[in-house]
Amino acid sequence: MTHPSNLPAPSTNAGKEDDMKRPGLMQRGGRIGLATAALLIAASGAALAHSEGGGVTMVVEGAPSWSLSPVYHILMAHFPVGLWMTAYLFILIRSLSDADISVRLQQAIWPLAAIGTLAGFVTYGLGLTIYPWSAITESPLGRNHIILASWTLGYWTVMSVLGYRFRHDLFEGAQRWVTLALATIGAMVITITGTLGGSLTGTPSLVTKSLNWIGWNVYMTFYMPTWVLVLYAAGAVLLIAIGVWGYRMNRAPN
Amino acid sequence: MHIKYLAGSVALFAGLLALGWITHGTSIVQNDPERNIFIPEDLTSELQVKATYDGTNIWFRYRWPAERPMLFNDVLVYQDGAWEERGGEVMGPDPDNLVEDRVAMMVDDGAVPLFGRYGGYITIGEGLTTFTGVPETEEERSKYLPSTRTDPNDFETIKPETDLEALRAAGQFIDLWDWKSSRTNPLGQADDTSVGAEREDDAGTAPYFVNFNEDTGQPLFMFDPAKGDPALKIDAVMAGDVGFNDSYYLTEASAVPFDPNRQWQNGDTLPRQILRQGAGSRADIAMPAAARWRNGFWDVTLVRKMDTGNPLEDKIFREGGSYDLAFAVFRKASTMRWHYVSLPVSLGLEQPAQMVAERIEPGTEPDWTQPWTEIKTYYPGQVTWGRLTDARQHPGADRIAQRVPVAYRHGEEQLALYGIEMEFAKEIRTQWLWTLFISLGLIVGMGININLLMRRREAAK
Repeated sequence: MTHPSNLPAPSTNAGKEDDMKRPGLMQRGGRIGLATAALLIAASGAALAHSEGGGVTMVVEGAPSWSLSPVYHILMAHFPVGLWMTAYLFILIRSLSDADISVRLQQAIWPLAAIGTLAGFVTYGLGLTIYPWSAITESPLGRNHIILASWTLGYWTVMSVLGYRFRHDLFEGAQRWVTLALATIGAMVITITGTLGGSLTGTPSLVTKSLNWIGWNVYMTFYMPTWVLVLYAAGAVLLIAIGVWGYRMNRAPN
Repeated sequence: MHIKYLAGSVALFAGLLALGWITHGTSIVQNDPERNIFIPEDLTSELQVKATYDGTNIWFRYRWPAERPMLFNDVLVYQDGAWEERGGEVMGPDPDNLVEDRVAMMVDDGAVPLFGRYGGYITIGEGLTTFTGVPETEEERSKYLPSTRTDPNDFETIKPETDLEALRAAGQFIDLWDWKSSRTNPLGQADDTSVGAEREDDAGTAPYFVNFNEDTGQPLFMFDPAKGDPALKIDAVMAGDVGFNDSYYLTEASAVPFDPNRQWQNGDTLPRQILRQGAGSRADIAMPAAARWRNGFWDVTLVRKMDTGNPLEDKIFREGGSYDLAFAVFRKASTMRWHYVSLPVSLGLEQPAQMVAERIEPGTEPDWTQPWTEIKTYYPGQVTWGRLTDARQHPGADRIAQRVPVAYRHGEEQLALYGIEMEFAKEIRTQWLWTLFISLGLIVGMGININLLMRRREAAK
């Protein structure tokens, strides 16, 4: 396998080429956005048409005056999951290959991640309208779905920003392995979030059972002891400090 | 150089994730005697049941695992001149092993709304005795049916007696069979009770009464000294050294009046219940023979007339009928709500159901050749019907309104775990929220880190 670091040095006109490509990129992005919006509208219509259940409606104690059928959230959830997982697939391919096709796929990574993130925010918002907050946060499975969805959305927001800012450089030298490692974590949280959503609607998958085998019964709330949370907070600060320190070191003249 | 920072950061991030994974779910769920919280070691257990009938009688046979038989319930122990009560109604498992084994069966014929879909959950109102935060009351606040209250979530709002009588006449009660290893088994009986406005005993004579004179502070009866020791030793009782082949229970017929002048020794022990033949509707449930614990299992058979003639206290079984059952098993010296319950199970008398009672020829004894119905039982925790039907507390409240059976959405293990989480609902929710926010902070920290440390191609040159 040939690594980019072994390839000829890029042209010094690379930045200018990027500037020239940007309008085309924006046009393509716009078209993708429009197509996505059209798809969403069509799918929402389909969901609306099929969301009504049968039987006699009964008044439920404490039911919110307004809530949205879960079908919209379930429908929308397929978009971020599909887009992010496709982005991960491209990252995986690009990390392991410098072939032309892999390099071409690299260009699609950040748009996939970004559109996935946009769809993720919509999905997350729709999810919060299904049940009253007080009720869903009383359910262990509900809590778990929310925490994983929050992680997934937060994580892929970060990945989208990273993907956009370093769209040409994610696979430079050893950075490709960092990219792959981060993306693999991202793919894992998507998978778990999705399977928890399935469990919440009464259709647990083999992934749900697999999580049990490796130490987490999803019918118990995922929470950490306080001392671990303190370490997490310290870890977040430390990570930022390392980032700032490393950034300064890199910029410092040799 | 920057790649070392990057790799170090990823390693730190991954390490924290791994730490979170390993330690998650710890630090909150633990026994808390002050709040009546005792979590059983095993959250689920197994019960095997089969049934048969001959047109006049119906038999149920139950088998379940028990490490050792608990042959004693409450006892009286002589200590320094006084007789102390020990065992019986103990919170959580009794370390002294002075709580009997039991199997209980709820029976309904379809008259009680939702029982066939939610089983015993419908009988768990707010503020029942032993629930966390419920103050001790003189009278036990037991199970009740929601229809017996003007506010189903308020134990005190019981309907007028005429309304309760009408409800019972309409069949709105649950028949409750209750076999007890100490108080009913030795004489081959079970307790016939029901759940309506509360846990109610059927009319008649109970198969046991208290062996204690409140005025004298002494037992009423003791073992016959002519046939052996007049009392047992508490150490032997607790250790399980007193077994089926010993005189371990007192009956009205065999006991002799207590002798206060005897030289009682510390540790002398007498059963606190005297057994007798029950009578009336209370004694409708019998046993072909007293059950024995063998090889790690109880094997109990109960028999009752299909039609007892007491339709206001018993559910009448009819040829070709379909019924709903729910079971509870009391194991490991635990009582009250520290039991293992089942989801509702349908019973058909030669009708399609989860459990089919086979018909035998009248006058013959069951040969029990049909297979067992395997029933998973679980620790239910503290989950009230009010919570389950309130959309602000239970996301599935709308499903209950739609009459979706509990078994369609929840398994026994899942319900056991949920039951435990409900016992720590407030603490877990708070810790979960902290986990949510701080872990998101870690992700943001990682994002900033990577964005600062990643290098562009021109910078890498």
